[in-house]
Amino acid sequence: MAALAAGLTVYWMTKLGLPVSTSQAIIGSIIGWNLFSDSYTDISSLLKILSTWIICPLLSAVIAALLFSISKIFVRKIGVGLIHLDGYTRLALILAGAFGAYSLGANNIANVMGVFVPVAPFPDMQFGQGFSISSAQQLFLVGGLAIAVGVFTYSKRVMMTVGSELMTLTPLAAWVAVMSHSIVLFLFASERLEQLLANMSLPTIPLVPVSSSQAVVGAVIGIGMLQGGREIQWPRVYSIVKGWVITPIISCLLCFVGLYFLQNVFQQTVQRDSNYQLSASVIEKFQKEGIETDGLHELSGTIFRTSAEVVRSVKDKVNLSSKQGLKVVEYSLQQRLIVTAEKIADLDNNGLSPVQLEALSKLAGQTYNYPWQLGDALSEISPEWIVLGGGLKDKLHDRDIKQKLAFLYRIFHRREL
Amino acid sequence: MNPLSLFFKKQYAVEEKIQRLLRYLEDMAHLYKGSYEAYLDGSSDEFTQRNEDLNKIEKEMDDLGLQIQMTLMRESLMPDSRDDLLWFLTKLDKVPSSFKHSLAEIALEKPEIPQDFKVPLKKMLDHTHKAVKALAHATDSLFTDLRAVRQHVEEVSRQESEVDQVEYKLLQSVFENEKYELARKYQLKGIFKQLGAVTNLAEDVADAVLILATKHST
Repeated sequence: MAALAAGLTVYWMTKLGLPVSTSQAIIGSIIGWNLFSDSYTDISSLLKILSTWIICPLLSAVIAALLFSISKIFVRKIGVGLIHLDGYTRLALILAGAFGAYSLGANNIANVMGVFVPVAPFPDMQFGQGFSISSAQQLFLVGGLAIAVGVFTYSKRVMMTVGSELMTLTPLAAWVAVMSHSIVLFLFASERLEQLLANMSLPTIPLVPVSSSQAVVGAVIGIGMLQGGREIQWPRVYSIVKGWVITPIISCLLCFVGLYFLQNVFQQTVQRDSNYQLSASVIEKFQKEGIETDGLHELSGTIFRTSAEVVRSVKDKVNLSSKQGLKVVEYSLQQRLIVTAEKIADLDNNGLSPVQLEALSKLAGQTYNYPWQLGDALSEISPEWIVLGGGLKDKLHDRDIKQKLAFLYRIFHRREL
Repeated sequence: MNPLSLFFKKQYAVEEKIQRLLRYLEDMAHLYKGSYEAYLDGSSDEFTQRNEDLNKIEKEMDDLGLQIQMTLMRESLMPDSRDDLLWFLTKLDKVPSSFKHSLAEIALEKPEIPQDFKVPLKKMLDHTHKAVKALAHATDSLFTDLRAVRQHVEEVSRQESEVDQVEYKLLQSVFENEKYELARKYQLKGIFKQLGAVTNLAEDVADAVLILATKHST
């Protein structure tokens, strides 16, 4: 329903010729889902994403203005003629367009198909020896084809809006706009850059889904502002910004109303039952993680049905930051994990190092009531499972461990079902 | 060989044709000067011969201009550059026509040029020749090195300004002279104005070259 609501919103906005963001629509849908299912929303993460919706076009505008100035100086210096310049610009536009489309594909396929990966309906396809297409790859292929069909059917109006209605772009300005937008997407998506900045003890750029539409519109405005801003069609800019504001709202409302109808009119199950419980071990874990626990023992034994409910109850007793709220949800979620030798054998390393796999093997036969208990048990056996939490330099290492743990939680929980 | 030439074959073909067009333009400027001077010197055969040569080149230039326009229409350049070039070629096409019309007027009217005016007129012709040559160089730079366009355009303006000064003095001499009848005065005025119009046109086209160079390098 979340994907459908986001898809319908983007479709409607595209029909109106407004360059809207798939990421914005998806975020709106997820908030709609959170409101409907009474799930906890991490406000700090949400604010981080919302801030990128402002930073992204601004950054893109600044990069475009800089790049445009440099390109103009370069063109003046190289001393070629009009036809050679036309040829080079054409080649540069084709390459930049391909790079931009590649960056878009790399980012947006996750927005479009990412939510379906855990429930992909396709079996793996085997073609002779050594060549196969996994179900996720088939899913992404379908997504890629759907994007291509979208380009042929409904993208023209949006292209016209970005390409000519905001401002008349020269070929050089068009190249700068595409390059700036690709650079911004790269800045917000590159783990290597994040690692490099972290290694130099510099603040990292958050790896969050940013909007390519916002980036390209920001770039066009940046070029326009550099030229004095007189050529920018400001009424068109306002209508685009309005589109950006209402996209997540419409998507959120559509998702909420759609879920209501699915559940109450069509009697469909829209939400898995989850239990959140503050057992003694959970409260002890809270203490270790620096969460106040005075008065939480009164909640011991109470079963909460939703993540928002457990956070509200804990907040009534102690002070809780947004990030701590997320930890409360993570640690109090009851999910029985059974670590079996067969499942471990089936894992076939799956990105796990031999040491990590060996540590996991030692836990065969164990059961856990809370997923984090498996993580703690693994970190006690091997330092390769330890989440360091030492700031910027450990950020990528910690993310890697957390992703592996999340994978294990899914595997061993699913096996129980 | 530039490896990019493989990718931009059509564009380079247009460039080569434009270079030929510019050589024709320079030849026409030379023939125009020679033909006019022959008339002033009273060599009517040479005037007729050079006039015919000029008309032949004008015809070839027309054909070549049409070929370039057709090639441009077949999308060998980006729309922005293509439209600019078509606009420019339409302007440039007026220069050979102005040579042709100026000489046609002389051939038709056969005006009697007073001896005193022949030297200044030859001076005007010399500046006109230089202005059109500078225009050809400016246009050439538009296709080889955008940075060099401005200096050639400035040269066109300089020559045009020289022509203006000579033209004004000639007109002053004509209208202050009581010997000439009014009809003759107006005939001579027409001849001088027609000659001055060639450089005015060359300056207009040079301005267009500068606009294109500025637009495409900023």
